[in-house]
Amino acid sequence: MSGTGERSAVFLAVMELAVPLLSFGGTATGVLVWDLGLLRDFQYAAGGCILGSVMLAYLAWIRPRKDIVALSTPVYAVVFFLAPTDFLPGLTLQLLFSAGLTVLLIRLKYRFGDPDTGVDEGSFLAEPLSTYVGRTGTSFTGLVPEAGHRAAVTFVRFAEGEYRVAADMARDAGSHGEYPAPLLRAFGILREHAELLDKNLPSPATYLTFLPVDSPLLARSLAPSAGRDTAVDTTLDNALLMVYSAAWEASVADRPHLLACQKFAKKLLVS
Amino acid sequence: MRIGHVNVRVSIIAIAVFVFFAILLAIAALYSQDVRSQLIWLVPGLFMLLVIPIALNYMSQSQYADLVPLYERQARPVRVRMINESMMGKIVRIEGVVEQVRFQFLNRPQYIVADRSGGISVKMFTNPTEDIQKDDIVEVLGSVIRRYMVTGDPVINCVSIRKKFRAEKKDEKS
Repeated sequence: MSGTGERSAVFLAVMELAVPLLSFGGTATGVLVWDLGLLRDFQYAAGGCILGSVMLAYLAWIRPRKDIVALSTPVYAVVFFLAPTDFLPGLTLQLLFSAGLTVLLIRLKYRFGDPDTGVDEGSFLAEPLSTYVGRTGTSFTGLVPEAGHRAAVTFVRFAEGEYRVAADMARDAGSHGEYPAPLLRAFGILREHAELLDKNLPSPATYLTFLPVDSPLLARSLAPSAGRDTAVDTTLDNALLMVYSAAWEASVADRPHLLACQKFAKKLLVS
Repeated sequence: MRIGHVNVRVSIIAIAVFVFFAILLAIAALYSQDVRSQLIWLVPGLFMLLVIPIALNYMSQSQYADLVPLYERQARPVRVRMINESMMGKIVRIEGVVEQVRFQFLNRPQYIVADRSGGISVKMFTNPTEDIQKDDIVEVLGSVIRRYMVTGDPVINCVSIRKKFRAEKKDEKS
């Protein structure tokens, strides 16, 4: 793990591998030690199962979508292995439990998505948002903090669902000539969508878009085969993300508010 | 069952528990004089297994019914994809298709409702006034909460879910 608390892919891979290794390995070691006559109670061979279940619960905890079954496995491990058992029932129970943990681990990986990056999202911009902001932020370095603040408030209000306020803020920001042309277009797009969302109206037949020259600043490109609805959504996402990037670059004082909304920005970027 | 203006539904689990213990009590009473002598307490106790869930359901239903006008006034329409952590506690209105229905038998249904922008979990802590099925087009009123109270992704704590349109099934068309 790095200094920021970021979990590396290697660390996670080791943790995942440790679940079956510890649970099956603990039992196998227990059988060997039992055969040598060094283990008085076969119950203690279940230590690997308990450790494996704790690791599985940890892997479930660090995912944005929590798997309640995987999270509760340590409780079951303690309940199952607390009481002393004979060799054969104990061995059967431990093997079944280890197999169960392995199945749950596979289920966790395939049904509950990737773990969080581990970056403290209250203090740092996480990937891929930081890459996008780093790539586009230099285009907004000339903005004064006040202009950045207006962009930050517009984004935050939109994220909070305050579409009327966001539309007013975007209109106000658009009336200031200090913004570069792509950002002015982003404010225009944002205002149009915020007004529609506020009135719960569908997107109109013609809507504001970016120009081809803006493409280096856009977060998401549109596939030529994309339908109209996708195009409308992508245009709004690009406008919001450009406003976010400008706000981040120009208004350092607003960064805590922007960090609080970064999950929303990430969702726009990866959806 | 209707009590006043509230439509009360008992979950299948509560009925199953009642039936199980009714059979158990009947068998015990048949074979034991001691049990027969205590029937004056046991029979009302048995019926409490039905009365308590009915009372709880009545209370939650009437409370939800009182909340609906408030939510009608305050809910702001949002698209599913726009729901995020910054909206925690906000009262929202979404419209979409029911893609999945879970835990209806527990009177704690959970729906996956999707509009063209995405899908979201809609949790209800009592049964809805209408029978909502997969493929129904619904309007949901509720507040944005975290899936596990203090952590997890945003979901909707539903106060009202109403059918706007029942999508016709393929077999009905043919």
